[in-house]
Amino acid sequence: MRITLIGFGNLGRGFSRTLVQKSDFLRRKHGLVPRVVAVVDEFGAVVDEKGLNLQALLKKTELPGAKKGKLALSTIADVDADVVLELTPTNIETGEPGLSHIKAAMKAGRHVITSNKGPLVVAFQELTSLAKKQGVEFRYSASVGGAVPVIELARKQLAGNEVMEIQGVLNGTTNYLLTRMGEEGAPFDMVLREAQELGVAEKDPTLDIGGIDTACKITILANAILGVNAKLKDVRCVGITRIGPDAIRLAKEAGQTIKLVGVARRGLLSVAPRLVPLDHPLAVGGTLNAVTFKLDLAREISIAGFGAGPKETSSSILGDLIDLHRTLGC
Amino acid sequence: MRVRIVMELKDVPGQLLKALEPIARFGGNIQSIMHQHERKTPLGRIPVTLVFEIGDKVRLNKVFAALGAMGVTVTQLGEQAGAIQTTVMLIGHIIHTDVRDTIDQLNAIKGVRVSGMGLAMGGPGQESSARMTITANDEKRVRAAVSKLHKIADEKKLLLLTSLEAAQ
Repeated sequence: MRITLIGFGNLGRGFSRTLVQKSDFLRRKHGLVPRVVAVVDEFGAVVDEKGLNLQALLKKTELPGAKKGKLALSTIADVDADVVLELTPTNIETGEPGLSHIKAAMKAGRHVITSNKGPLVVAFQELTSLAKKQGVEFRYSASVGGAVPVIELARKQLAGNEVMEIQGVLNGTTNYLLTRMGEEGAPFDMVLREAQELGVAEKDPTLDIGGIDTACKITILANAILGVNAKLKDVRCVGITRIGPDAIRLAKEAGQTIKLVGVARRGLLSVAPRLVPLDHPLAVGGTLNAVTFKLDLAREISIAGFGAGPKETSSSILGDLIDLHRTLGC
Repeated sequence: MRVRIVMELKDVPGQLLKALEPIARFGGNIQSIMHQHERKTPLGRIPVTLVFEIGDKVRLNKVFAALGAMGVTVTQLGEQAGAIQTTVMLIGHIIHTDVRDTIDQLNAIKGVRVSGMGLAMGGPGQESSARMTITANDEKRVRAAVSKLHKIADEKKLLLLTSLEAAQ
């Protein structure tokens, strides 16, 4: 399987490392021999149609021997690959540069796997229609839930159910902040600084604590699982900035806790801090993510796991890759 | 008086009907029955939540005596409580935006009562947090109360946190 990898930051490198570490496993267990024929980042591109030496690439901070320039679109079009992995950073307003990358890949007849929420939030229907028209596969498991197989679980194993509602704790940063405030009784600003020092929260945490990141994921789930043509602006969104340790303590006294919960059902998309019973499957701690599906046959199914991190997210990307390999035999 | 009880029944046919008989015999008027078959206790008993109106405490005690005599365990009893409770949280300047008015507006809805409150005052100039228990006669009234509270919270610039299980 020939792969073009777009984005060689934290996630692109993490995934490359996983490919190197698991190459024997992939061949033995799945008969899959992934060959990365091009790696592109915002500064340049390296190409080798016989397959690049990822181990050597990973040792350098910049892509060694790269042609300089904005080469993603031409590389996607010109280098012969079965699959384009789009792992560039998210921009939820324009979806770029990921959106153009994905469209170019599909137009060139290549299957696409992405972790990038931006293009999905901005142009979900457009991209899924384009994939259909071009006869290519389009997978985005890693865009929601990190390692937690939210989308694929719903689309495959739960396919016989009507999904009435999806509830999810989908942002590790806010869940960490709420958990720490509950454990330590420390104020919001203090736990936020701690999270920033640990790398759990970004320097500018606005998208996380304002609930926007969760709203993006709810938008994707509504499109992908409920089949609703939803946009980010359709999500009623409240963040956690007004939540303090007192509120969490009061909740705990009543056997509850406070979680930032995204809800998707037909006619209602919302993100808000909610009271969740302490024994509820969504009452997960730390940076964990959790999702509960409400279903007509299975009633309720919940899953939880790690929602971020290059290694954890690689689990979902690799799952998509193996699935394509099985489906297409390439 | 309105009574809400949870009793545990053996998982054999006819138990529920048998357990309801004393309530009718002592003049009780059953309003709702929730049979939670999927929540079996470790001893294999089935919890059943009942809400009924009954004349007075004397009659209620006769009901309990009759239930006890037939081996039915009553595990929870909420006297005069409505059938449904929900917990919500308010964050903001709760006292300064007239907490009494907030409570009065909810109590003004028929069949709705603010039955409990826990309050944490913020420091000077900071927001306070309040946990509020709303008791109502049925689901519909809970929804009416929560919807009213959404409006009050909007007006008073309070953040309202509802329970995950409650209608939004």
